[in-house]
Amino acid sequence: MISCTEFIPAYSELFKFLEAKGGRKAVLDFWNYLSDRFLNNLRDLVTANGIRGCWLYWTKSLNEEAADFTMELDEEVGTFSITMHHCPSKGRLMEYRHITPYHDYCGHCDVLYRRVLEPMGYEYNTDLSKCDQAQCSVVIKRKKL
Amino acid sequence: MPKQVMNRKAGDNVYLHKDFHGALSNGIDFIHEHYGPEAVRDYLRQFADTFYAPLKKDLVRRGLIALKEHYANVFKIEGGQARFKLTDNELRIEVDLNPAVHHMRAQNYPVARLYSETIRTVGEALCAGTPYAAELSAYDEASGRYTQRFFRKD
Repeated sequence: MISCTEFIPAYSELFKFLEAKGGRKAVLDFWNYLSDRFLNNLRDLVTANGIRGCWLYWTKSLNEEAADFTMELDEEVGTFSITMHHCPSKGRLMEYRHITPYHDYCGHCDVLYRRVLEPMGYEYNTDLSKCDQAQCSVVIKRKKL
Repeated sequence: MPKQVMNRKAGDNVYLHKDFHGALSNGIDFIHEHYGPEAVRDYLRQFADTFYAPLKKDLVRRGLIALKEHYANVFKIEGGQARFKLTDNELRIEVDLNPAVHHMRAQNYPVARLYSETIRTVGEALCAGTPYAAELSAYDEASGRYTQRFFRKD
């Protein structure tokens, strides 16, 4: 059995495997597939709670992933943000000496979550420029009608 | 509603995100649907050869106790239930509660048709090129209960 604590390297190897099979398109197709099939919990929480749904979703996942982060929610303004001081996924990948992470490992977050939130009326902005230090940030804003 | 802020350090929580089992299951389904069943096995072999390379070395160096320790730790971390029977030539793992399948069923996540390959193929890949072999001798699709044997080939 593959433990959920071993998932991140399995995920990274999956991206590498798919790219070797079908190029970048295969990786993007998988990220879209995963977003459509597996992120219903985020979709349902935002449908039911508006932007607070983001807070509820990431409160569970980031705490379970033991991330080092700051999360902020301002419902009046309609914004939610995550400042990832140390991403547990990328951090773990970088710690392993015997594996090489997929070159765009962090790209999956952008594709998966943007695909859920933009059609629901939210702007999704992310800064991945410090991915090589296992740091990133995300700002989600309710679009003005 | 005032602005809400949450700050967490890595050490504030235990690293255990069981939804990752569902994401892996989706990955297996995707490969299966787009590239066929043998591609699923190819992927799992690639993963095992890469990620479990240190475990494989440990298996060669210390024998089946290395696998027993590894899997006992996995089931302890995940809250699974498994019985381990280790002799000089065989390690038998009888899993009564598979935490991955248990979690996916509880969350109504689809379990990949080839999910058992995460046990069968990974076990075989761990043993490839060593004096040992692996066999998934029983697997229940609904619950994920299984029996796996690792044994000396000669």
